[in-house]
Amino acid sequence: MSHKLTSNSLNNRPLKDETKLLDTLFSTVVKFSPKLLIAILILPVLGGLLGVLLPAFGWLPALDRTQFGLQGFQQLVQTPGIAQMIGLSFFSSIVSGLLAFVITLLLLANYFDSPWLARIQRLLGPILVIPHAAAAIAIAFLITPSGMIARLLSPWLTGWQSPTDWLLPHDPYGISIILGLTLKELPFLLLMTLGAIAQPELNIKLQAQYRVALSLGYYPITAFFKAVLPNIYPLMRLPMLAILAYASASVEMPLILGPNTPPTLAVAIMNWFHDVDLSLRIKASSGAILQLFITLSVLFTWWLLEKLTQAISSKSLSNGQRTYGDLFWSKIINIFTLLLIGFIALALIGMVFWSFAGYWQFPLALPEQWVIMHWQSALLQVQTPILNSLSIGLVATSIALILTLLTLEFEKQNGAQLSRFSSVIIYLPLMIPSIAFLFGLVWLQEAVHSKATFINVALAHLLFVLPYVFLSLATSYRLLDSRYAQVAASLGASPIKIFLQLSLPQLLMPIMMASALGLAISFSQYLPTLLVGGGRLNTVTTEAVSLANGASRRTSAVYALIQMLLPAIAFSLIWLISMRKKRQKAQVKLNNKTASYITKVNR
Amino acid sequence: MPAVWLLRLIFLAWFTLLFAMLFTTSSLSYANTAFAATPETGSITSTETITETSSVAKVNSVLISNNSPIQTKWSTGETLGKNPSVYFHAWGGDPQINSYIQWLAKRVKQEYNIDLQHVKLTDTSEAVSRVLAEKSANNHQQGQVDLVWINGENFASMAKYQLLAQGWVAQLPNFWLTNPKENEAMTRDFGLPTQGMEAPWGQASLTFYYTPSINVNKPKSTYQDSIRHAPKNISQLLTWAEQNPGRFTYPKPPDFLSLSFLKYALITLNQHQPAPVKSGLYQAVTKQSQATLLPILWTFLDKLHPYLWHQGRYFVASGTALQRLVGDGEINLGFTFSAAQVPAAVERYNLPQNTRSFVMQDGSLSNIHFIAIPYNAANSDAAKVVANFMLSVEAQAKKQQAKIWGDSTVLDVSQLSQQEQLLFSIEQQHPSALPVSSKITALSEPHPSWSILLTREWLKRYGAQ
Repeated sequence: MSHKLTSNSLNNRPLKDETKLLDTLFSTVVKFSPKLLIAILILPVLGGLLGVLLPAFGWLPALDRTQFGLQGFQQLVQTPGIAQMIGLSFFSSIVSGLLAFVITLLLLANYFDSPWLARIQRLLGPILVIPHAAAAIAIAFLITPSGMIARLLSPWLTGWQSPTDWLLPHDPYGISIILGLTLKELPFLLLMTLGAIAQPELNIKLQAQYRVALSLGYYPITAFFKAVLPNIYPLMRLPMLAILAYASASVEMPLILGPNTPPTLAVAIMNWFHDVDLSLRIKASSGAILQLFITLSVLFTWWLLEKLTQAISSKSLSNGQRTYGDLFWSKIINIFTLLLIGFIALALIGMVFWSFAGYWQFPLALPEQWVIMHWQSALLQVQTPILNSLSIGLVATSIALILTLLTLEFEKQNGAQLSRFSSVIIYLPLMIPSIAFLFGLVWLQEAVHSKATFINVALAHLLFVLPYVFLSLATSYRLLDSRYAQVAASLGASPIKIFLQLSLPQLLMPIMMASALGLAISFSQYLPTLLVGGGRLNTVTTEAVSLANGASRRTSAVYALIQMLLPAIAFSLIWLISMRKKRQKAQVKLNNKTASYITKVNR
Repeated sequence: MPAVWLLRLIFLAWFTLLFAMLFTTSSLSYANTAFAATPETGSITSTETITETSSVAKVNSVLISNNSPIQTKWSTGETLGKNPSVYFHAWGGDPQINSYIQWLAKRVKQEYNIDLQHVKLTDTSEAVSRVLAEKSANNHQQGQVDLVWINGENFASMAKYQLLAQGWVAQLPNFWLTNPKENEAMTRDFGLPTQGMEAPWGQASLTFYYTPSINVNKPKSTYQDSIRHAPKNISQLLTWAEQNPGRFTYPKPPDFLSLSFLKYALITLNQHQPAPVKSGLYQAVTKQSQATLLPILWTFLDKLHPYLWHQGRYFVASGTALQRLVGDGEINLGFTFSAAQVPAAVERYNLPQNTRSFVMQDGSLSNIHFIAIPYNAANSDAAKVVANFMLSVEAQAKKQQAKIWGDSTVLDVSQLSQQEQLLFSIEQQHPSALPVSSKITALSEPHPSWSILLTREWLKRYGAQ
């Protein structure tokens, strides 16, 4: 309805010189934007890498080191426990990635054709936007010896009057890290996969194949693995690799949940960069290079695993076996899903309890007093951090959104997708461990005497926001029915008019979703804010992480909850708008009906 | 059509916001450069103040009154530029200290129109590495750190790489209230002479706190009763840990509280040694002093670690995390350098009500913490004004109040007027606070080289298991 109106109004206006100028400007901007997008992503990352590479090989003029050498790497090799650090980083990322992948598949397989899939998606969705730090804090609250689980079981089951000294968290095997990473990455992977499946054409094809498999007597889970999975795995690969890369180099999770004798490599690198002994920076830079190789080898291992699985399972795809104990597995998955949701709910409830708790001695499952002083004192201090979070998020997201839309428009106008090289570049900041290039980036910013802290931080956030915004918008934009644009063009509409008045309104909801996602990603950035901002810009996330290791569980619970609420507000705004839009549509339909009724009656 | 309008509106709003921000930040950076471009006026003021301070030292009492000529001179706007900002890089892990710094910011805004910004660090070394990064990028004038809260190894490190401004401390009129001629500790940081690179701010000694597991002490039980079961010296600590496995731990080096504990153990374990051997602790480490003084510490720790929380396989990152463990009831014994933190934490429900503070009978490690100005600070003149205010009677007395921070003053209170001395008197005691009657045997800080050695050797022995 509205589109029809638009094309009519387009037709009525004569072309002016002014609009011509605007058109040429627009087409130049559009032509230029993919290059700008690539430059914005590639320059800081490569520059940052260079800024780490030079010190790694011994070049650090500030310490009067101007000779290239392998000292840093020698020091690195001699570090006590370096093998454990590497092992911990490697295995915790592989295992957590694998777990998240398997659980995603099991959930999909068990609930592929049931309304529960949408419900689980809605339940896990909020976790996607919870920053890693807040999630780690919540999980730590749950599994510590004085945490919710121990409190619920004590003293009636365990007999503990005071917390028992058990392994979790901070266990030397990285179990806590794996738990945290798995829980955090699972929703991401699930939602990315569901998003990919939701593409109309693919969805119809998958549903059809699934139904055929069912009608041939395959049990549901088996049907999913044999008929659906081979089609969707290629779509899961990229998010999967992003998860693995992130997990291998993440700092927040291992910092809050992991061991420290020794810690993971990424945490150790961060400590070395911040050490009093300034000469450790050379070792830290070498460590960052090592981290890069570890991340690459994690990705390579995943690729090997993929090939191996393919080789082993390709025959069983066509062996005709209809079930592999489907009913048993289905029960197991049901129980597991219940446990999973219970675990998450308990973590959240525990955190809410702590944020309102007065004295709360150990075996008690509920606080002795309820007070609001933690919220009061936090809310007094949190205003500036919230404003900073919001403004950085808005700037980074807007730039990302505009660049993405223009780049996609370029694609559309030229009728070709971005080159393979460019699509890889877009994922560069997700694949290269941020710890490897952020320190170099800070050094570069120092070198060019860049003083605008706010812009620097916003640009650093842009590096991480842009890929996600692009990911979430690209599919919808590419699926846009091009016939509308063709009709508009044939009626004489200029490209800019088509872009502004046709494409964008049609994409309102995806744009909204992308901006909410962008905001959420920006809110959760810890290392970029801390390093690039030099501590001058406090956001809710930097405050929450520094308080996570602080003295008060209660205050850190408050900050973690605020951290969760911020993106939640963004998403609920989107939800409100979408509801309004739906209502308007319904209204329009109703009006149409009434109108046709009236015309009928009049006749 | 409303969708189109909504979209246009959003885009318009975002663009406006974007440009507004671009504009404000760029204009801000211009303002900074403009301020820095007038170094002549700044240096003139400094020379003037130097000449004046020498006379000031003699007439201490005149200085204290707020309307003395120098104080008004310090506050004049022209010398500082318009509305200068001072970025104070200070550890931000304690809400009490943070709100004290907020109070400082409010006061210097009122008095001198200076915007004091607290940059909250998780570790002071972050500021050290920032200044270093600036030096390596040849940023010698526009440094982002104007003032830093520092002592010990961080100071030694910054002094070694010449990252600090020198000789400015004597310019501060209020510095002379600390009576540095009589009180040598004010110009020595962990044994190193400060050479006018840092001004004293406060002092503290290592205080332990204890919470009995089960509520054995009745509400009326006396102070002595409630700490009867707590260890009182280093050897009792070991036996106590053996009897209460998993109920004590200490943070991991290089955390400063961790090193304080290790240094306390090092000093007290070597107390039986002859004086010339012991004096090795207060000089740079040599191979010989290392061989005579260290082994006893490692034997002690080897015995202690199996009885620590998590069997000594995980060490908390900081003193604040240690306090959280006590608060959760996971351990029963903790220690801190800011004794006033304990009652404050009880008030905020972060420690149980039956927490009691005490000092070890065999000695308590004591040190002074300082404030320093990096060599390349963009707003060093304003930073000096702030530092001077931090040493004022008003700010120091406020800081010493247990409800505010409880950090001991560095001023020589006996030299102050009767009225001013009253400001420093002690209020009503909290049951969890360290009793005023506690006898503190102060142990001086060893030479900073010991901290570096302890960190390295500890990490080698226990850092990777």
